[in-house]
Amino acid sequence: MATPARARGSRSGARFLDPAVLARIDNLELLARTVVDGFLSGLHRSPYLGFSLDFAEHRPYMPGDDIRRIDWSLYGRTDRHYIKLFEAETNANFVVLLDVSRSMSYGSHDVSKLDYGRFLAAALLFFSNRQRDRVGLVTFDHDIVEYVPPSMKHMDTVLHVLDRAEAAREGALRPPLMTITERLSRKGIVVLISDFYEEPDAVMEAVVPLRSRGHDVIVFHVLDPAELEFPFQDASGFEDMESGEQIPVIPAKLREEYLALLRAHLHELEDRFTASGVDYQLLDTSKPLDLALFRYLSARERLSRVR
Amino acid sequence: MSLTFLVPLFLLGLAGIAIPIIVHLTRRQRRNVVAFPSLMFLEKIPFQEQRRRRIQNWLLLALRALALAVLAVAFARPFVADTELGAAGPGGPREVVVLLDQSYSMDVGNAWEAAVRAARQVFASLGPLDRASVVLFSQGARVAARSTSDPGRLNAAVDTAVVGSGTTRYGPALKVAQTILEESELPRGEVVLISDFQRSGWTGDEGVHLPAGTVVTPVAVQEDVSDNVQVAGVSLVRQAVGGRERVTPTVRIARQGGAATREVPVTLELDGQEIQQRSVRVDPDGAAVATFPPFTLSLPHTRGTVRVPADDLDGDDARYFVLSPGRSIPVLVVDGGRARRDASLYLERALGTSDEGRFAVRVRRGDGVRPADLQGIQVAVLNDVRTDGASAEILRHFVEGGGGLLVVAGEAASWPASAADVLPGALGPVEDREEGRGGRLGFLEYGHEVFEIFAGPRSGDFSGARFFRARAFSASDSASILARFDDASVAMAESRRGEGRVVVWTSTLDAFWNDLALQPVFLPFVHRLVEHLSGRAEALPWFTAGQVVDLADPEALEAAGLASAEAADFAEDADQVALTPSGSTIPLPAATGPRYLPLEERGFYVIRPPGSEPERPFTVAVNVDLAESSLARMDPEEMVAQLTGPEAGPAAGPTFEAAALAREDLERRQSLWRYLLLAGFLLLLAETGVSNWLSSRRSRTPGMAIG
Repeated sequence: MATPARARGSRSGARFLDPAVLARIDNLELLARTVVDGFLSGLHRSPYLGFSLDFAEHRPYMPGDDIRRIDWSLYGRTDRHYIKLFEAETNANFVVLLDVSRSMSYGSHDVSKLDYGRFLAAALLFFSNRQRDRVGLVTFDHDIVEYVPPSMKHMDTVLHVLDRAEAAREGALRPPLMTITERLSRKGIVVLISDFYEEPDAVMEAVVPLRSRGHDVIVFHVLDPAELEFPFQDASGFEDMESGEQIPVIPAKLREEYLALLRAHLHELEDRFTASGVDYQLLDTSKPLDLALFRYLSARERLSRVR
Repeated sequence: MSLTFLVPLFLLGLAGIAIPIIVHLTRRQRRNVVAFPSLMFLEKIPFQEQRRRRIQNWLLLALRALALAVLAVAFARPFVADTELGAAGPGGPREVVVLLDQSYSMDVGNAWEAAVRAARQVFASLGPLDRASVVLFSQGARVAARSTSDPGRLNAAVDTAVVGSGTTRYGPALKVAQTILEESELPRGEVVLISDFQRSGWTGDEGVHLPAGTVVTPVAVQEDVSDNVQVAGVSLVRQAVGGRERVTPTVRIARQGGAATREVPVTLELDGQEIQQRSVRVDPDGAAVATFPPFTLSLPHTRGTVRVPADDLDGDDARYFVLSPGRSIPVLVVDGGRARRDASLYLERALGTSDEGRFAVRVRRGDGVRPADLQGIQVAVLNDVRTDGASAEILRHFVEGGGGLLVVAGEAASWPASAADVLPGALGPVEDREEGRGGRLGFLEYGHEVFEIFAGPRSGDFSGARFFRARAFSASDSASILARFDDASVAMAESRRGEGRVVVWTSTLDAFWNDLALQPVFLPFVHRLVEHLSGRAEALPWFTAGQVVDLADPEALEAAGLASAEAADFAEDADQVALTPSGSTIPLPAATGPRYLPLEERGFYVIRPPGSEPERPFTVAVNVDLAESSLARMDPEEMVAQLTGPEAGPAAGPTFEAAALAREDLERRQSLWRYLLLAGFLLLLAETGVSNWLSSRRSRTPGMAIG
């Protein structure tokens, strides 16, 4: 089953990063594999980073390999470039925290924010699983909805939970994240995917403890293009998807003020996350997943370097 | 000229325009709710109440308001009150019915042209609100244009009319006029009768009752005919000579008017070729007879024409006929085994006495009847025969198959009880009527085909015959008693069985039990009886214009000259087409039910399957009714007086307000409401289109998609 998809992905992998295309793939594992393979085939260097010290073998250097991995002593002897390969070793917990509050179900086009977050989480988890990381998943709204502890063997469970995640209830960041912070005792990489409809203070209050616990936190702020551009024309009643509250809105009158407030909110979040050592990336659900994956890889690279 | 309304109350409907405006102004946005992830930022924006009283879709509003306005105006029934149009004569507009006589007597001189001119003058004199109808009539009436004010239609109706071959009958035309006037809403009615006013067309008791106040205007267009010679009659006497049939035409020529005796050449044509010409001397207002030498009739559907030179009245200058060789009726006379040898002498002689060889008589002696005896026989006569059961069954099948059976009940005659249902009753014992001078026939069913020709005075006297003996007869319920003796006992009874007929004559047909055979009525009586039993209709050499032939009716076709087998085939046949004397064709498609061919023109109608050219096609001759040749005139005023009556007259005014009618009539004629209604419908259609377009455009803007 996966072979044709892989073949297609390797031919034109970038196409599979388009969320509109991914929305048509029912099987989340296939989707994740398609994304990762398609994405990797477009990179010029190998993204695989080994953290183990157990030498396995040498292999000839291939374009795209990290030159830091070249065994220079062997080069001195043979005048050829070889890469040292190590036995991969599970060395990190990789946990995705996915917001499944009702506001995440919003989508002005084919893909809702929850779908987008689902694709992203699946791709990252799949990628990390290949890296022999222990993968875990937490879905939450105003409480923890599902919790899959990090484990090498939990990939299937994680994908299953992701697959059936529904945005049904109101959301709040602090209670579930505080709980998670308590539970994740071992340091690892935590990816938080949410639309962050809370005041920056409340957001920071919920996220910073994770960072304080020593986790490497990567935050993906997922927003729909309609939220980013506010393209509405007709005067309408706008209803809060979580609270059900309605207010009359004349978009033409309010657009500028809305966009200014949104921009201010985003800037403040970015500034404060950065200041707290948290990687922050704003994602537009109409855009391909590349940006998110690059962001993740660069973070991993940086983290591995730090180590 | 000004626009006014018939029902201005409906203009109140214009207030309905306010409805779409109010809807536009008060329509809240409630129905258009956009689900949004969070109102976090929107709620921070200071809320400013937007007054909704602002029109958003001017085009939509305009369309809706306009549609409502147009509908309201349409219901108010607008019309343009044109002063010229409104002008009507005193008493209001008229309903004029022009009755135009197209009988063949209108062909005299320039009578027809004068009639058409007169009709056109009537049309030209119509006011703008007047309406007129054109009714063409001869013995029937046909509405060519009904109640219209369109001069084009009226003139066209007159222009396309031609003089026909019919006779003048005023009754039907006046009744049509009566119907038109009764159905008219106009206050004044007028009948213009354009005719040559032949007296023969008016009896005075046609039962016409024109509406009160109807003005009858006679327009007489007669032209005097000083000398008219007509073929008044053709007699075609047939004789069978040497197995062939010879026909002797005798023509009666009549003359109306004239100043001196003159020679009139009479021509006989057969199948379009002139055969003979005779010349007769005819006195003024006199008549003469021209007898042509006999011609041999060998081919079916032979067309004949007797013609005199054309004069002012063409229609009666020729008589047409169609003849086919006669077909004799095969008759089997069965004499009883113990009967005298001359038992059927009178019967044989009577049947043999026929100029046309109409009966082919075969005599057989013996009491039994075999199937071979009845081969090709149409009528069987059992003359005092003792019938056994087997013969009775054979005769039953014979009758049910269409044969005719005459049972002559003499002394020896008997009929088996096993087949009693075949006869119209049961034969009883012999009854003597020897006291006094014998019995007589006391009752004859003159309405029956057998006795029909004896119904008139001096048409045959049965009372002279004396009956001394007869068999008692008890008739069954289904039997028809055709004759009774003076003591009320049955003399002749008939019953129908299957396709055939059975007649029982309770006395003999010789000179022993009665002396009917010695009476003058015996021969025509026997002829009629056997013809009736044979079921054959007499072929008519011609029809009269105005008659109708049902081509689906075999009897009618036989009467028109077809042999019975031909007629049956023809009646069941597929499509036919009739070629009229004037050359036009009348399609007669095969259909269930009657196929009527109206015979309206004089001459020959040829009927054949479409696309075929039979060598001797079925032909029907049509002659004019000579009553039309009688050009005696009547005073038109006499007819007018009878039609209008003493109480009627101009005083009988309209029963309603003419002015109001004029307004209604104006509105009805202009019918602006139809156009307005259509415009309103189109506007509503456009409104629907625009509304849908706006809705679809709105739905394309980003909204909610819950995934």
